[in-house]
Amino acid sequence: MLTKRRDATSGRARLQGFAAGLASGVLDRRSFLRRSGLAAGGAAALGTLSLGSVRKAKAGPMQPGVAVEIKKNICTHCSVGCTVIAEVQNGVWVGQEPAWDSPINRGSHCAKGASVRELVHGDRRLKYPMKLVNGEWTRIGWDQAISEIGDKMTEIRQKSGADSVYLLGSAKFSNEGAYLFRKFAAFWGTNSVDHQARICHSTTVAGVANTWGYGAQTNSYNDIRNSKTIIFMGSNAAEAHPVSLQHVLTGKETNRANMIVLDPRFTRTAAHATEYVRFRSGTDIAVIWGMLHHIFANGWEDKTFIEQRVYGMDQIKAEVAKWTPAEVERVSGIPGEQLKKVAETFAKQRPSTFIWCMGGTQHTVGTANVRAYCNLLLATGNVGVFGGGANIFRGHCNVQGATDLGLDITTLPLYYGLVEGAWKHWARVWEVDYEYFQSRFDEVPAKGGRPARTRKENMETPGIPSTRWFDATLSDPEDVDQRDALKAMVIFGHGGNTVPRMPEMVKGLEKLELLVVADPHPTTFAAISGRKNGTYLLPICTQFETSGSRSASNRSIQWGEQVVKPIFESKDDYEVIYRLSEKLGFAEQMFKNIKVENKRPVPEDLLREINRGGFSTGYSGQSPERLKAHMRNQDKFDLVTLRAKADVAEVGGDYYGLPWPCWGTPAIKHPGTHTLYNTNLHVKDGGGTFRARFGVVYAEKQPDGTSKNVNLLAEGSYSLGSELTDGYPEFTYGVLKKLGWDKDLTEAEVATITKIGGANPDAVGWAIDLSGGIIRVALDHGCIPFGNGKARAVAWNLPDPVPVHREPIYSSRPELVGQYPTRPDGRQFRMANIGLSVQKAAVDKGFAKSFPIILTSGRLVEYEGGGEETRSNRWLAELQQDMFVEVNPADAAERGIADGSFVWVTGPENNSKARVKALVTDRVGRGVAFMPFHFAGAFQGVDQRGNYPKGTDPIVLGESVNTITTYGYDPVTGMHEGKVTLCQIRAA
Amino acid sequence: MARVKFLCDADRCIECNACVTACKNEHDVPWGINRRRVVTINDGKPGERSVSMACMHCTDAPCAAVCPVSCFYTTADAVVLHSKDLCIGCGYCFYACPFGAPQYPKVGNFGSRGKMDKCTYCAGGPEADLTSAEYVKYGSNRLAEGKLPICAEMCSTKSLLAGDGDIIASIYKERVMKRGYGSGAWGWKTAYKETIAS
Amino acid sequence: MTKSPETMPSGAAATEKPAAGLDRRGFFRVGGAAAVVAAAAVVPATEDAQASETASERTKARYRETEHVKNFYRVNRY
Repeated sequence: MLTKRRDATSGRARLQGFAAGLASGVLDRRSFLRRSGLAAGGAAALGTLSLGSVRKAKAGPMQPGVAVEIKKNICTHCSVGCTVIAEVQNGVWVGQEPAWDSPINRGSHCAKGASVRELVHGDRRLKYPMKLVNGEWTRIGWDQAISEIGDKMTEIRQKSGADSVYLLGSAKFSNEGAYLFRKFAAFWGTNSVDHQARICHSTTVAGVANTWGYGAQTNSYNDIRNSKTIIFMGSNAAEAHPVSLQHVLTGKETNRANMIVLDPRFTRTAAHATEYVRFRSGTDIAVIWGMLHHIFANGWEDKTFIEQRVYGMDQIKAEVAKWTPAEVERVSGIPGEQLKKVAETFAKQRPSTFIWCMGGTQHTVGTANVRAYCNLLLATGNVGVFGGGANIFRGHCNVQGATDLGLDITTLPLYYGLVEGAWKHWARVWEVDYEYFQSRFDEVPAKGGRPARTRKENMETPGIPSTRWFDATLSDPEDVDQRDALKAMVIFGHGGNTVPRMPEMVKGLEKLELLVVADPHPTTFAAISGRKNGTYLLPICTQFETSGSRSASNRSIQWGEQVVKPIFESKDDYEVIYRLSEKLGFAEQMFKNIKVENKRPVPEDLLREINRGGFSTGYSGQSPERLKAHMRNQDKFDLVTLRAKADVAEVGGDYYGLPWPCWGTPAIKHPGTHTLYNTNLHVKDGGGTFRARFGVVYAEKQPDGTSKNVNLLAEGSYSLGSELTDGYPEFTYGVLKKLGWDKDLTEAEVATITKIGGANPDAVGWAIDLSGGIIRVALDHGCIPFGNGKARAVAWNLPDPVPVHREPIYSSRPELVGQYPTRPDGRQFRMANIGLSVQKAAVDKGFAKSFPIILTSGRLVEYEGGGEETRSNRWLAELQQDMFVEVNPADAAERGIADGSFVWVTGPENNSKARVKALVTDRVGRGVAFMPFHFAGAFQGVDQRGNYPKGTDPIVLGESVNTITTYGYDPVTGMHEGKVTLCQIRAA
Repeated sequence: MARVKFLCDADRCIECNACVTACKNEHDVPWGINRRRVVTINDGKPGERSVSMACMHCTDAPCAAVCPVSCFYTTADAVVLHSKDLCIGCGYCFYACPFGAPQYPKVGNFGSRGKMDKCTYCAGGPEADLTSAEYVKYGSNRLAEGKLPICAEMCSTKSLLAGDGDIIASIYKERVMKRGYGSGAWGWKTAYKETIAS
Repeated sequence: MTKSPETMPSGAAATEKPAAGLDRRGFFRVGGAAAVVAAAAVVPATEDAQASETASERTKARYRETEHVKNFYRVNRY
């Protein structure tokens, strides 16, 4: 009856503990009685637990009679953003209570959220800074650590350049921490600054932004309560976002909604679906085009919506025409009738929402996948409506915020990009000379026939994605388009087992001159390689031990209060980044407008600086005061609309968490935007249009070679109450003048605009106007500052402007590779991307035969990310004690594999292998296997527990699936192909 | 007088295990003892259902019936509690319980398993309410604080209901009516051709 | 679990005659009550060992519909 995942090892553990205490190893009565406390005389030397008392009585539990402080913070695991209520006595976190008032979770948690108190108890956390000396972990002090790290970084900078240091940041940073880290990278002089979004939703952000303006979740978890049809494609929300199911399932019940799950695996989410569709991993585009085939063929599309608000749907129709039901079934495995039913339901039973997660993003065609999903939504008129939208479920607790604040190799904070205008904007905000930043970047010599880069060109060139840092270390420096190879990794809060090709990653680690891991735990980076020196571990505290804001997936920003002070010698991110910048000599400039107390920057000041510069994304209105007022008044926000009534004190009329864009300065009190691009609302009530981001006209190439100007602005569609009743471009000072609305600007606002504009004030756009005046005036006239354009079904600036199906690099169907090959070899992000060569080699070598099982990876509800933190939490670790591979019963029978027995999983690269337990289940179809990605600490059959500093090894260790996963990178973002590769499995 | 119950709405349970870790957190339950567990049938197949199980606080508790030292008692709230001081770890209550609720901290050889531990409905035990002595043996006493079991309070999908039996029965009934199908009542699919998710 | 006469639970081996010296049954007869008392004393009490509740205190009702409980019902309804 018990689920197969858990076995009875807990019972075994008890026995081992019991027998272990016997000197003779034999269970004799005397020793037994002694242990059970029934020896003659009555008073036995007992372990305090042996009489069945529930716990040892020491600091930790609630003490009667002592005052309890209540602190509110946000769970540090996934992006749903559940409020955590902490009960604190004498500075110790003693209990958790449900947060009824939060409209997002209303008291609920999942296994991880319900156990966060343990994170701060921190049995297995890093207690103090450590340094690896000849293979031994040695304790050192903070001053020594910062000093040595700074010296080494400076040495590498002088010898090899700023680009030789990689700054890998975290989705667990608060917004203020993420912003500070990005600012640090700018002062250091590199664009190689990244975080988990790279491996998670980087393709989403790029693909969706290139479709209609911003690359974020358009609606919210709560808004799904309005949906009539919900598609989950490549999303296992029951395990990855459990509390979201509270909204989904309730909506499903109240609306009798259709819940359709498309996944190669029958997931726990599929178990609650009204329809489950199994398909071959990596064939998303074929499936979506297959759906659109039926939709267009039967006229189920929303013609008005397309006409008014979408460009390029005709070109999509042309591609879709090739995807007949027969071809779709041949490629994806979905029977024609089933997909037709799904398409009809999605198109007709509206509002329909499309939810996707890693299943869609982690592919070489990830960016194309998400654009296909968006096109399906656009064709059916399901964007910008309540209950519809692209409900993209982000991963970690602040991956949304960290993405927004620019921990991305392609941009500065808030998506301004790396162009000259972006740098000048932030130079203005930071009040530091633009030329200074230019001087911090390396000059890059010409290499291999490729052009050199000046400092200016280099500062405008994207960095290296986190999926390929080790390629930049191991490759011949001539092949890497920067001054020198990568020599140092400075890693804050990022796992080491979540990126493919781990055997090569280990080699990269061993070659680095400097490795710094700043984390509450040592992480896989510390334990997996044979490094003997040049490695530092800095203990960083969790978000519960500091304060700051974080952005949930639905763009709501929530402020977390410090629950307890940082434990042991850990420090928060702000302080450590400050200390590093102090050592490197630019702290004074970097923190000129930020209050620093005892070397710790004040997070409220950081947020205020974000507000001052964050106009482009609407991070300008969420002041610390407004956010804290929201946390005080959580119960005032409606469960479905997320809005407080207009007459409520402090937060009247606001949407919970002021979801961005929250336009203009805090003074104008914009309420935030719950549902993006929603023309049913006035812009001052959170309404909007598609962003006019791609220009006003597009010179579309015609088949006969001529060029035709196509209107990219919306036609006949505009938001409620807009004074401009048609499409309009982004607002600039010049546009305001044309409309005569410039007279609404105040003198001060005009002064700021003219100062910024210099010789050409008319060109000053809404996003760089530091007064916020252009935005304010546009809103007053019912217009949205970023213009009213059409969404693009065709993204002409991307490879594959119309998404096309391409087989994965390691395809299980070599006969399809010829017809649907991956993109040609090329160079992206300073390095070669040889995907096509690898794909061809895989076909030539017959890997589909020697590695006949499709390997996919994914999440478990008990663990999070790389798993070092959650596998160190005893309450969670008990629930998942073994790494495993899900094997189909037919495949298992063929190989003589019994459920629960050990197997070797081998992969086509690096002679990779992993020894794990087999979980024989029907969840995966014939020829498909699944491995969770949360495990580390065993590598290719070798246990690595001894490599961790004493007392910091996680309770549960296991092999990493990314030891087996393989080469393959999306050309737009460098996303890896973690969801589809090939493997073989045999009994061990 | 309100009689309190648990009711797990199996249509909503997604096996997230929040109930399990919330209980561990609240009462500091040691490794090896799980007062609450999620049980899943048809794991990985259509028809997969999960339900959260703990002590059901039976009206006519079999554990109490077989206990040789009569360490069990039922409160006016209908919560079944026991005394660890009296418990001799014989294991009979475990044999009698159809739900596997009683658990023991030691592997039993020669008849002693240590003191039986089980879900207390967050209602403590025979020590005085809200004292350290009560906490150390039985965990916290939320009922005495005017709250409900933490497992139900923190359930991710509002699947696990706890509280006044009449009230949670009416909550569940409203859900069944809203959904428009029986909760897997035998024969429903044949009669009405409607089913719960798969 | 191996069974030998000396290791069976005291209640079961009623026919066994007590051997010389301190056998288990003798032990329980002699030290049984003491063992229970000793057990209770060894449990670490962090405070003054508060007296256990009387029979009527144990079984009296604790559940009441406070604001907290009402909140629970509220968030569980539609």
